[in-house]
Amino acid sequence: MSSKKILLAGTVLAMIGLVWLGAVYWMSFFWVSTEVTQGIAQRIMYVHVPAAWTSFLAFGLAALFSAVYLWLRDERLDRAAVSAAEGGMVFATIMLITGPLWGKIAWGTYWTWEPRLTLTLLLWFIFLGYFLVRSSTENPERGKRHAAVVAIIGALDIPFIHLSVIWFRSLHPEPVVIKAEGPTLPGDMLTTLLMSFGAFTVLFLGLFLLRYSFENLRSELDTRSRHASV
Amino acid sequence: MNRNQIFCSLVTGISFLIGTITLSAQEISEFPGAQLATQGLGRPYWHVFIAYAIAIGIVFFWVVSIGRRLSQIEKKIGN
Repeated sequence: MSSKKILLAGTVLAMIGLVWLGAVYWMSFFWVSTEVTQGIAQRIMYVHVPAAWTSFLAFGLAALFSAVYLWLRDERLDRAAVSAAEGGMVFATIMLITGPLWGKIAWGTYWTWEPRLTLTLLLWFIFLGYFLVRSSTENPERGKRHAAVVAIIGALDIPFIHLSVIWFRSLHPEPVVIKAEGPTLPGDMLTTLLMSFGAFTVLFLGLFLLRYSFENLRSELDTRSRHASV
Repeated sequence: MNRNQIFCSLVTGISFLIGTITLSAQEISEFPGAQLATQGLGRPYWHVFIAYAIAIGIVFFWVVSIGRRLSQIEKKIGN
């Protein structure tokens, strides 16, 4: 796929994602019914949970690209990994800000060191480390290899985050969508949540492609600079 | 106007639209969400609106950041 096609695909997907997100915002405020126990505060779920899902998807992709990069040493995989990791940081930040805002209403505190919160914050810091490792070595190739290892280690945290509410005593509720007996949310809430999953995912994929295009162009510029200096 | 400027303009427009929807949610009462007005929980309103505003704000920041970086690198390659 040529760079121009990737750029075009990214732009189209990002546009669709933003319009879709607008529809989700409308549904969240005007359409979906209010949860009985928590009231309006429960509506934070429609941005918090999809942001969490999207960050896990992005970090998972970053780890996958990194693992294959370590195997094949194809620069395109490293560019894809760093693009996905940046997206993961963006959506993880949304998750880590909206979660405490919800927690203050539901639990009475913005933050508590319970397993899921702690592991999620750890994931954020591991991927912060990913970017620090990339830029902290004099040899860029070595930095990319070390960062790839950090991404793989970081992604290993994701299953623990998901299962922590089952394994440990946790303030977080157990999963309401991904469970063996099927989703237990009422129909309109499930529809809004799934719409939000779709919007966040498409938006991420679009912006990921645009970010990947930028990495491709930067690589092209570096190649030109090297040839010019020889 | 190059492609990135058009892209940034469109994204700004869409983000403004989403922001307007978020803010106008407090005003409209004839929709099913009208029950919110009778809930009387007070403070949670602000938590919800802040959460939604922060979510779109961070996405918007990333969109603008990518657009600017793409624009700058295309200029450098063009030179």
